[in-house]
Amino acid sequence: MRETVSADLLVELTTALDRAKELLGTIAEQRTVSAAEGPTLEGAASDDGSSADGRIQELEGRLSDRDKDRQELTSRLVEAEHQLGRLMNLYVATFQLHATLDPGEVQATIAEIAVDLLGAERFALLLREEGSSICEIALARGREEDPSGLYTGDSYHGGDPLVDAALEDGILRMGASEGESGVVAAVPLRVQDAIVGVLVVLKLFDHKSILRAEDRDLLDLLAAHAASALFAARVYSNTDRKLRTLESLVQLVRST
Amino acid sequence: MQPRKILVVDDSKLIHKMFEVLLRQFSLIHAHDGLEALQCLGNHADIDLILLDINMPRMSGLEFLNQVKADSAFKEIPVVIISTEGKEEDTIRGLEAGAAAYIKKPFGNQELLEVIQRL
Repeated sequence: MRETVSADLLVELTTALDRAKELLGTIAEQRTVSAAEGPTLEGAASDDGSSADGRIQELEGRLSDRDKDRQELTSRLVEAEHQLGRLMNLYVATFQLHATLDPGEVQATIAEIAVDLLGAERFALLLREEGSSICEIALARGREEDPSGLYTGDSYHGGDPLVDAALEDGILRMGASEGESGVVAAVPLRVQDAIVGVLVVLKLFDHKSILRAEDRDLLDLLAAHAASALFAARVYSNTDRKLRTLESLVQLVRST
Repeated sequence: MQPRKILVVDDSKLIHKMFEVLLRQFSLIHAHDGLEALQCLGNHADIDLILLDINMPRMSGLEFLNQVKADSAFKEIPVVIISTEGKEEDTIRGLEAGAAAYIKKPFGNQELLEVIQRL
């Protein structure tokens, strides 16, 4: 809606600007004609000329104002479109994360957010095992090419300072590709207040050089929603499995 | 003329949802791999744009594109490749196979809308 209004205003301003340019052209033409009519009309032309000068100045002032307005509106329109894109990505990511209670599908959605929205070529989703400092590698992509070798096998036993720090204090870390750790981002995952894991972005695609401000929004969203969606799906799946077992037992008891 | 019916071919549910939100003014047909997309083309004669991923199960985007461009009934439909494959040779391969444009994921919404408008 806001963009439509902005776009309408922009069109209106452009039209006004074109009209003002047309008027300026007409006035300039009239002045040329007056000058060509010669000295007999000089007096009248002089009066007309001074009023035309004033009119031109006024129009030039208005033209300049409109131009500034147009520039401001253009930049606001660009900003609004940018903001709309960010919000759309966040909406779609949240919607998809909570659209299912199938753990496999939730994991696939986390992978799709990492790849399609963040541009992660390599990443790993680590989930802390209960009562242990070891993390289960619940999901990974491209880890076989990761030079650190910390994400091979089924578990992560610690070793990357950024990941370990995120697991410890729950603070999201970004842009450490030049540092001690080779990790691009370590996103702590929370369920209520507990840190239950980390999404580790190991490498971005070559055509995506850095994480931008809007990516930070997505990482925050993942921190808040990915683990809870995954845990909810796992709890549902376990409960459903137990329910089916109980139902089978009840049927067995009834039949005997 | 702006396209009205768009075939979206991608194995990512997230991308399908995003297009549903972003391209609300168009009628969208959804397929999750090349084979399903070929069936959709057979069932919908009025598709006038295809948004195509490359890495998909069963039939890849490039295989699908080759089949579309070899078929006189569909070869005029413009195809926009939207893929994470971002190397220059990937772009060249896609364009040489007959794609009208190549967009790298992650993409900006405005970038996609501008390409659709241009086509």
